[in-house]
Amino acid sequence: MKILKYIFLVAAFAFVREEGKAQCNPTEQLKVCIPKLAGGFNFLKSYEINGRDGRLEKVEYSYPFAKGTQYMINLCSSEGEGKGLVVTLYDSNRKQLATSVVNGQHVSAILFTCQSTGIYYITYTFDNSAQYCGGSALGFKR
Amino acid sequence: MQMKNYLPFLLLTAMLLVVSCGSSKKEDAEAFLDELDEGVDAPAISEETINDILQQIPAPLEISVLMRESGAEYDRTILSDPDKVSNYNTTFKRAINLGIYGTDLIYTNIFGKNQEGLSYMKSVKELADDLNIGQFFNLKLVGRLATNNDNLDSLMLITTQNFNAINKYLQDNKRANLSILFLVGGWMEAVHINCKMSIDNPEVTSLSERIGEQKDVLERIMLLMSFYAETDPNIKDLHEDMKKLQDAYNSIQITYTYAEPTTEVVDGVLVIKDNSTSTVHITQDNVKEIDSVINTIRNKLTS
Repeated sequence: MKILKYIFLVAAFAFVREEGKAQCNPTEQLKVCIPKLAGGFNFLKSYEINGRDGRLEKVEYSYPFAKGTQYMINLCSSEGEGKGLVVTLYDSNRKQLATSVVNGQHVSAILFTCQSTGIYYITYTFDNSAQYCGGSALGFKR
Repeated sequence: MQMKNYLPFLLLTAMLLVVSCGSSKKEDAEAFLDELDEGVDAPAISEETINDILQQIPAPLEISVLMRESGAEYDRTILSDPDKVSNYNTTFKRAINLGIYGTDLIYTNIFGKNQEGLSYMKSVKELADDLNIGQFFNLKLVGRLATNNDNLDSLMLITTQNFNAINKYLQDNKRANLSILFLVGGWMEAVHINCKMSIDNPEVTSLSERIGEQKDVLERIMLLMSFYAETDPNIKDLHEDMKKLQDAYNSIQITYTYAEPTTEVVDGVLVIKDNSTSTVHITQDNVKEIDSVINTIRNKLTS
């Protein structure tokens, strides 16, 4: 009987943990982010940001940016307005180009006018985030 | 025994039922995916690495938008025939032609040829159904949007979202081999259309430059395909054919100059000015050679 109770407790704990994980739903954030791309920008990609309750320090994606093209990357978080999320852009040599924290202030979108074709890295990190959860949309215009 | 003593057993039984139902669904999904697989073994490279490289293949939309902005005219004759779906009766051909039709669909969208786009949409839907990924396409919605050019942005948004969803689904379900074929087909069709337009409009250097810029993308595609070439004979054949394309790209040079970017915040948006530059050294002879190699490969894929 004691063994069964123990199994029950372990199973219940595992069930609760799984439920906890399911709380982050980046897809919902993407529904907010994609329409928020500035006018004139064509939607290109959407990126899910799930920090798994803080277990992941960063979430990274990459995309080939083309010379002569403007790219916009915006942020949406489950805490609202991209709160708790930071996006940092790196060039193909992994040199940091910019981050969405400017003089301690957070911005919820970055606009990059590319003059050098190559793979760029888009890294999402968390800053005072409570939910470690969000989404981001990448758009472009010529 | 009192009722409260049964409670843990009841809960445990309920949880086991939930878990077992989940397992059943998982088994169904795995069985379905095994059907898609057609016996292709996973490569000895991590799924994460493959997904990382897959992200680095540009969306055909981006290449296609350049064509419209270059002033080049719409030319239906350079597209794949949308009525050849029934010819594509293997998973390999379906996946690669899904990519080809996808690019053709975007091309028609960009030029506002919505009725022609509907033919491609139907072909895309049919191939996607054959691959058991048709759930991502709502033909009725697309048809409604296609009847009015004012809906062009919505049409393109939905098309892009559908294709992104397919890629994600295939990758999440460990069938990156199909995702690769889908992306390669789409990429190759975009380069094919771009070559034709560049040949017709040699004075528009942005078109030839964009073709040249694909050199790095091709390298990544070749790397991806090499992972599967050992286990998938169709990918192996395509990989061999694409080595000729790599040869055609060998003489194209891309030079880079790095300079620190400058930034400023405008209306709450961080604006980054890229001060680095890249230059593509490509001639019209290079474009013609690439076009010729792509024609040969494409004819094989669409026969």
